[in-house]
Amino acid sequence: MFLTRSEYDRGVNTFSPEGRLFQVEYAIEAIKEGSTAIGIRTSEGVVLAVEKRLTSPLLEPSSVEKIMIIDHHMGCANSGLSADARILIDHARVVTQHHTFTYNEPMTTDSCAQAVCDLALRFGEDGREEDAMSRPFGVALLIAGVDEKGPALYHTDPSGTYVRWEAKAIGAGSEGAQTALQDAYSKMMTLEEAETLALKTLKQVMEEKLNSTNVEIAAVTAKDRKFRIYSSEELNQCIERL
Amino acid sequence: MESMSERSGGFSFDNVARNHVLEEKGMKMPKAAKTGTTIVGVVYKDGVVLGADTRATSETTVFEKYCEKIHYIAPNIYCCGAGTAADTEHTTAMIASKLELHRLDTGRQSRVTTCLTMLKRHLFQYQGHVSAALVLGGVDLHGPHLYTVYPHGSTDALPFVTMGSGSLAAMAVFESKYKDDMTLEEGKQIVYEAISAGIYNDMGSGGNVNLCVITKDKTEMLKGYAKENMRPWRKSTPYTFPKTEVLTSKIDKPRTDISVVVESEKMEVSAS
Amino acid sequence: MMDFGTPVLEPGSANGTKQVPQFNPYQDNGGTVASIAGDDYVIVAADTRFTLGYSIPTRKISRVLKINDKVMLGTAGMQADTCALHKVISTRMRMYEHDNNKRMTFNAVSQMLSTVLYYKRFFPYYTFNIVAGLDDKGEGWVCGYDAIGSFEQRKIVCNGAGTKLMQPVFDNQVDWAQSWDGAGKPNLSLEQATDLMKDAFTSAAEREITVGDTLQIYKITKDGIQLEEFELKKD
Repeated sequence: MFLTRSEYDRGVNTFSPEGRLFQVEYAIEAIKEGSTAIGIRTSEGVVLAVEKRLTSPLLEPSSVEKIMIIDHHMGCANSGLSADARILIDHARVVTQHHTFTYNEPMTTDSCAQAVCDLALRFGEDGREEDAMSRPFGVALLIAGVDEKGPALYHTDPSGTYVRWEAKAIGAGSEGAQTALQDAYSKMMTLEEAETLALKTLKQVMEEKLNSTNVEIAAVTAKDRKFRIYSSEELNQCIERL
Repeated sequence: MESMSERSGGFSFDNVARNHVLEEKGMKMPKAAKTGTTIVGVVYKDGVVLGADTRATSETTVFEKYCEKIHYIAPNIYCCGAGTAADTEHTTAMIASKLELHRLDTGRQSRVTTCLTMLKRHLFQYQGHVSAALVLGGVDLHGPHLYTVYPHGSTDALPFVTMGSGSLAAMAVFESKYKDDMTLEEGKQIVYEAISAGIYNDMGSGGNVNLCVITKDKTEMLKGYAKENMRPWRKSTPYTFPKTEVLTSKIDKPRTDISVVVESEKMEVSAS
Repeated sequence: MMDFGTPVLEPGSANGTKQVPQFNPYQDNGGTVASIAGDDYVIVAADTRFTLGYSIPTRKISRVLKINDKVMLGTAGMQADTCALHKVISTRMRMYEHDNNKRMTFNAVSQMLSTVLYYKRFFPYYTFNIVAGLDDKGEGWVCGYDAIGSFEQRKIVCNGAGTKLMQPVFDNQVDWAQSWDGAGKPNLSLEQATDLMKDAFTSAAEREITVGDTLQIYKITKDGIQLEEFELKKD
């Protein structure tokens, strides 16, 4: 990919003669350095599971936020630059609140993914000092939510593309994890089976041994339409099932 | 008693100063009913035709759907009134009674010009505070007469006149269709059309068309000459209403142990 | 006809008093909108008379905006503001459809109108609105608004010039408001509600001079929207 590297990778607004935007491609590349995150959709709800990279035993695990809630019925996992993720999630939170305020109804997962990508695509735009963006966001999100059409899982990337998936893995271990998901995923899965599959897949691709401090799991269920990050007890129960 | 006997007629202004103070302090004075009104008159070959709508309003509410705005003055004189309903009714009634007395004194038919003078003197005296805008019509020994009287006391004598909030709509009809020496039918038709123009195009006017035809020999009131605006529709099924159940009832019989005795006594008269 | 209002005396200016003509941006163009909601229908009715003072510039103006097959908006008050508001609501509705890839529900429309009205809290649209529609379960509902977006969801709402005459009758006949236990409260059919609506407007036209000409009755059911026109008095 980078063999054809040239002066065309400087500006975010400049296509290469081959029709590529290198800065965006580099940003997508940054995600492949990120910790692995997995999302699985079932008819009962969506499960998100992430690996937490604890680089030092002195690090406080709870301060590493890889899964965040967006609205009551929606949340997301990220991989890549966590700082960039915070900006996108802040935006998603504002947009969903505004929707509830204006229409007295929860925003759909699709609309939220679109709103996030609208922001992701604003790099290179002219703007005032404070909201000018000089580069694409170096982060990918897995957005999980439930609306009137049921549970949905979306993947967004730095190019502003968003796609719906049944099961998706992002981050360093994504290639192996995606293959594993493809083999094991079934539309008939229960939420519990999805939890197990997500953790099992994470376990396969993680360098460290999986335990209750270096993974995080969350789910949104179709039944109560609530997004919830699992407590350590619940997480332990899931790990015990492996 | 003494102050009563000293009164020389006219309006009582006792509360004017008090009401002025109250109003300044924010009290809302009661609203008077106004005859939003279209009234017209026209002179034709043998006399005059007067016309009026039948709506009386208070702001945008209809006070009276079918009221009479053509007032009797004398057997040969009638007067249409627009403005504050009470003012038009009382002003015309007052003049009518004065003319009745005048006829008893003189034994002669009332003249329209006499009536006109009395009306304008009265209205001028009250400097426009008596809100009566009138169309005065009649026939006397000098022939047919038609006048308008404005609230401040000015008057006009014309072959066709209109007054009230619908006066422009009605005048448009007269200006386009009036001609001299019309027949009775033509006179009635043009007045009907003028009033209708007011009824349909001025929201202050509405209801039916009333006409009054005055000739040398007789006066004819044509109440409900046109009735195009009666209630057009009514729900066929009857209304039912919520009822409140009577839970208990107790009836007290009047006491029979008390009787009222009326004593007839001589009325006390104070000797002075 | 522009109304520049009566000159206002401004104390404390150069000569002690100065005459300043003040522009009055508002105008009352009359109009009455009413709606009765049932278990599986809702009807929206509005007269078509457009008034200016004691004049009737036109006898045939529509005060109702179709939002979609299930929701309608009726507006009384100032015609220019009504047009502006309907334009804003139409645009916002279309944008919502594009953004969210679905139709606006009755609930979403009712909340959106409230925010659109409150957005102009200190220079309000001089409009009095009702939003009528079928909810997700197909039940009829109607919301009544004031000019700056306060609203309430009910089964019967009336707004505009004829409200004072009509609302008490509807409260009595539809909500059974004077009953202490609701005994015998009728469940009006679409036909009964339509008849009541016609009778209420016919009666209002008798006593309120700004009501008249034509009554447009939109009937919203699961099968769509049907319009019936009913003639009122023209005087």
